Amino acid sequence: MRQEFYKTLLSPLWLVVLALAVVVPPLLPSYYLHIVILSLVYVALASAWNIVGGMAGQISLAHSLFIGTGAMLSSALLLKLGINMWLGLVISALVSGAMGAIIAWIDFRFQLGHLSFVLITLAFAEMGTVIVEGWEFLGGASGLLLPRDTGNFWAFQFGGGIGAFWAMLVLAIASILINVAVLNAPLGYYLRTIRDNENAARAIGVNILRYKIAAMVISAMLSSVIGTAYVRYLTFADPYLLVSPIIIIEIVLFATVGGLGRAYGPAFGALLLVPLGEILRGKLGGTLPGLHYFIYGVVVIAVILMSPRGLLPLFENWWARLRSRPVATKQG
Amino acid sequence: MTITRREFAVGASGVLLGSVAAPFVRRAGAADSTIRIGVVNSMSGGLAPYAQEGQPAFEFIIKKINAEGGIKSKGGAKIELIQADDTSQPARAATEARRLITEENVHLLTGTILSAQMLAMTPVLDELKMPTLSVWAGGARSNYMFTLGYPYDRGYAQSMHDFVVFLRDAQKFDIKTAVMGYSNYEAGQQVNKFLTEKLKASGIQIVGEAPLDIKAQDQTSAMVRIRSLKPDVVVGLVTPRDGILLHQARYNLNYHGSIFCGGTGGYSDLSLWKDLGPEIGKAVLTRNLFGMTGFSPGAKIPAMQAIIAELRDVAKLDRIGQGAIQYAQAARVLQMVLESSASLERDALLDAFKKVYIPFGDPHLYVAKPRGLRFAADRLLEDGSAMFIQWTPEQQQQVVFPKEFAQTAPRPRT
Repeated sequence: MRQEFYKTLLSPLWLVVLALAVVVPPLLPSYYLHIVILSLVYVALASAWNIVGGMAGQISLAHSLFIGTGAMLSSALLLKLGINMWLGLVISALVSGAMGAIIAWIDFRFQLGHLSFVLITLAFAEMGTVIVEGWEFLGGASGLLLPRDTGNFWAFQFGGGIGAFWAMLVLAIASILINVAVLNAPLGYYLRTIRDNENAARAIGVNILRYKIAAMVISAMLSSVIGTAYVRYLTFADPYLLVSPIIIIEIVLFATVGGLGRAYGPAFGALLLVPLGEILRGKLGGTLPGLHYFIYGVVVIAVILMSPRGLLPLFENWWARLRSRPVATKQG
Repeated sequence: MTITRREFAVGASGVLLGSVAAPFVRRAGAADSTIRIGVVNSMSGGLAPYAQEGQPAFEFIIKKINAEGGIKSKGGAKIELIQADDTSQPARAATEARRLITEENVHLLTGTILSAQMLAMTPVLDELKMPTLSVWAGGARSNYMFTLGYPYDRGYAQSMHDFVVFLRDAQKFDIKTAVMGYSNYEAGQQVNKFLTEKLKASGIQIVGEAPLDIKAQDQTSAMVRIRSLKPDVVVGLVTPRDGILLHQARYNLNYHGSIFCGGTGGYSDLSLWKDLGPEIGKAVLTRNLFGMTGFSPGAKIPAMQAIIAELRDVAKLDRIGQGAIQYAQAARVLQMVLESSASLERDALLDAFKKVYIPFGDPHLYVAKPRGLRFAADRLLEDGSAMFIQWTPEQQQQVVFPKEFAQTAPRPRT
């Protein structure tokens, strides 16, 4: 595990990413910088979800609950009790981790099949929505408006714009690296074994409960932390966005289009589809309402038909074929 | 025709490259003789009916202003509308606001902008200092946001309270108890909070709540709860969809033991009869029910009658409800701001918003505001009052409150 992980960590590619991160954002207009930040948020969220949904093969729709907990609970703790948002981030992550463990235990205890697991997690997500909308402490249906971001780092403020970009970049990279680490650790092998054949995994002595809980807790806590950072960027904690099943459907879509179960697949999907969706809406939404949804849908369908395993495996195949092509020699 | 992987790859690369290159492509500069107004509407998604009804009226008035010589104080500059769709999601309203301000270089922003959108847009407006007029928000948290929507407190809650007290004190209705029946979403909760306090302060006992689940397909359980509590009055903010389900449940349970009063769309929308059908409409809408509204075709307001006739006969709009009138009013407010502003700089436009005043009786005051239209220090309407109507079996509205606009007295309880 260590060898693969450190190889990734020490890859020169990160220097390219760093150079781009330093050079490009100051050149971008505000709107396009926002799209980049939004893309990084979804890179982080899709990668966090991938640990459960991709590696363990458990299509969890409960992640909106964890994202919502990170966003709404940390905001409420700050606004209602004056608790610093850094501490709120930790509390929310712990609560999300505990909820994730309970869901994983329920899945194990009742031997839920794939469809049952999806439905149970959807039910948890809906419960979360109902609780947030009905609980004044969490802002109810009105949501919560955070104080203006003045860039006070100790108050969990990043100054918007470039500061938010760096915060989201760090989270996105951390999320991808956690994916790489899990994928190359024994946990990753166990999760893939469980995904491919749970009975066989049990037969060879894999502790199903332990690894399912581990995956869910890591994924839930990470989602919660990203939720807290996302709400700080948005400033408005909107329950209809952050606790809504819509957000998790988008995440599943990005991960599927990019390549489920791979370390970089979900990130690739988010980097492709978030800007595409935003720019299509910006260009077409006002004049031809709904057309952007249609085009977006056609692109997604085309991608899934062309490469059901996601775009990343498709590009990897192309790259492998390119590299293996024999070098042409001069005749005569 | 089949698309090869190579062709698909080329197409996809084009889309991606286009997306990446877009920020670096310079926009053709707008002509100096145009004033660009960004319109953030929910053109798709659950909130689309607001814009679908209002936008045609808004565009009609803007075209009329342009045809009559544009903004005269700015050398006859014409107004150009730049549309954006927030897909009914507040976060996207903020994104579109940012795009319109920074990429489209608009001078002003407007649009449906309900309260959640207003909150999401607040940091963007504060950051970019963009004067904005919301057509429907019930609050204004940004220093740059003004709204024509009813304020939750002195608009919705005060109007409903005043009407209930009017029924009790002036019309001698026996009203001692109330159940708060409201759509359980952001605006419904806010109005309910203020209304509950006001009713209690006026000596009306709140015997329970019947929040309406906005995702429910049926409101029978809420109506059963109301029937079990049997209050003298059921009052609250109800959306059109929840109103239709509530009235259907009331019809199915044949319940007439309480007076139902509230607003706005769920009690007063002209489409209620169409959705409920004439039989259910006649049974429940014309009996013990009063609706709050800012617009009624029968109201004794000449400017309102004139705009209805104009939208119907000249613009040929087939749907003229409260939304259309509210948007038409927004167009006139923007015209006044642009005419009176010293320049098109943001500070000057902001000052002009603060000075807007359309007195009662002015032909450009389309909404029912006995004290005229102006913004208070909190950037909400100073006069947030509304009218109350009752329905006739002929599917017509009769204004019953306030007395300045009333056509008739409220029908006695039956």
